[in-house]
Amino acid sequence: MQLLANIVNFFLGLGAAVFVPIIIIIAGLIVKMKIKDAISAGVTLGVAFSGMSMLINYMTGVITPAATAMLESTGINLPITDGGWTTMSTISWSWPYAFLMFPLVIVINIIMLAINKTDTFNADLWNVWGKIFTAVAVYYITKSVIAAFAIAAVQIVFELKSADFHQHRVEKLSGIPGVTCTHKMVFLAAPMYIVDCLLKRIPVLNKSFNAEDLKEKVGIFAENHILGFLLGIIFGLLARYNVAGILTLGVQCATALTLFPVISKYFMQALEPISNAVSEYMQGRFADREMHVGLDWPFLGGANEIWLAVIWTVPVTLLMSFILPGNKILPFAGIINIAIAVPAYFVCNGNILRMLIQCTIFTPVFLWVGTAFAPFMTELANTTKAVELAPGQLISNSSIDGPIFTYAFSHAAKALQGDFIPLIILILWIVSFVLYSRSLIQEKKEDMAKERA
Amino acid sequence: MAVKIIVACGSGVATSQTVASKVNRMLKEKKVDAVVEAVDLKSVERYMAGSAAYITIVKNAKEYPIPVINGIAFLTGVGKDQEFEKLLKAIEDYKKKN
Repeated sequence: MQLLANIVNFFLGLGAAVFVPIIIIIAGLIVKMKIKDAISAGVTLGVAFSGMSMLINYMTGVITPAATAMLESTGINLPITDGGWTTMSTISWSWPYAFLMFPLVIVINIIMLAINKTDTFNADLWNVWGKIFTAVAVYYITKSVIAAFAIAAVQIVFELKSADFHQHRVEKLSGIPGVTCTHKMVFLAAPMYIVDCLLKRIPVLNKSFNAEDLKEKVGIFAENHILGFLLGIIFGLLARYNVAGILTLGVQCATALTLFPVISKYFMQALEPISNAVSEYMQGRFADREMHVGLDWPFLGGANEIWLAVIWTVPVTLLMSFILPGNKILPFAGIINIAIAVPAYFVCNGNILRMLIQCTIFTPVFLWVGTAFAPFMTELANTTKAVELAPGQLISNSSIDGPIFTYAFSHAAKALQGDFIPLIILILWIVSFVLYSRSLIQEKKEDMAKERA
Repeated sequence: MAVKIIVACGSGVATSQTVASKVNRMLKEKKVDAVVEAVDLKSVERYMAGSAAYITIVKNAKEYPIPVINGIAFLTGVGKDQEFEKLLKAIEDYKKKN
């Protein structure tokens, strides 16, 4: 037993960039990949980790001095660096138990399909990291790996149910049959639904207009390099840098935002063969059963309303981060907040005015939850050496997917220590989820009846 | 030089790279000298020039200067072979022109 513990500790001590590739090579051989392909995937994953670590280091090296100077010149104290979802996924994959989440996701999906509790096959194995993310927080709060996987299992079930309920509306909005969205970002749609019931009573908000022309005009602000440059300029101005300093910070911030997707692509490149093997196995196993295929959100990316809402949320998030009590995160790499725009799009049926109001109302939630998750993600990053941070440096994400769900379910155990707030939020979220699901089911029924008539 | 094909998703990371890896594997099996690159949807128009085809995973009415292939087929498996044939034809046409 001692020997086993020593071996495990030796591997963990090597750091995420070494031990996670070893795990994926083993996993690759289990799903019958060729040895050379498995090794290639493993080394690619090591490259992804090292590359992300290098980039995050670069980002904190650029942002932290600017944040410190901003504190001195304006009194705004935002010490948590916002690494966005790419940073969170990097840190999540470095959790030593991370890869056990694959079998859990697959087994739960197979069971749910077999007992007819879902019609969705979740083909989005990339976002396994979203389950790991929640599990990590549970693990740090409860110190129990079992509790971590239990909450992750609850999340997996909710994702499948949410995907089932959404399928009809997804098809209506996207025009793509047979698919649905299994991403947990959709969970925010439930509380948004309650707000939307009120907003719908205001007649002027039910007007729609052509989002396409507007998107063509302002779309450039959502492009990573332009947005990064502008953020750098704003930070530089607030930090009272000189002109050279401001422009340099602009280009450095543009560099960070441009390179994040370029490097995190290697994670996907490494994981794709495994995810493909699983998909083919699942499709073969349930070949004669009618299923909806659960996908990540981007197949909805053709909706101009989503992009307008994303662009709108950028200045809203930035301004709120400066004045919101309890916020400690300086929005940066996570500021392109898809996780707020997509659920708003679902709930509001693409009505852009109501979407913008929803995005404004729910922005504080993202900042608070981003602040709340900083200690766990920083501690995990430091333990696994997934990301090298300066001593005392905190890291998080200003656009954590499904923030209310993720916070409430991961922190629910705090009730044992006398803090009942997360548990109360959890109950409220479930109530809103039930009400919202009913409205989605109702809509489907009405549309089916119309079709028949 | 290998013919370039682009595929885009919301951040150019996960979904687009899934499709890119999958199609690259299919092209390799057929020994077609072409490579699929995952790009960011927000900047996709900057990548059109010099590409033989655009594999899209969104549905919109927009017209593009290069042939468009349905990428959802590669994610769900439904209609995958037809879309792959379309892609091979686009690559052939591109080679003839250049």
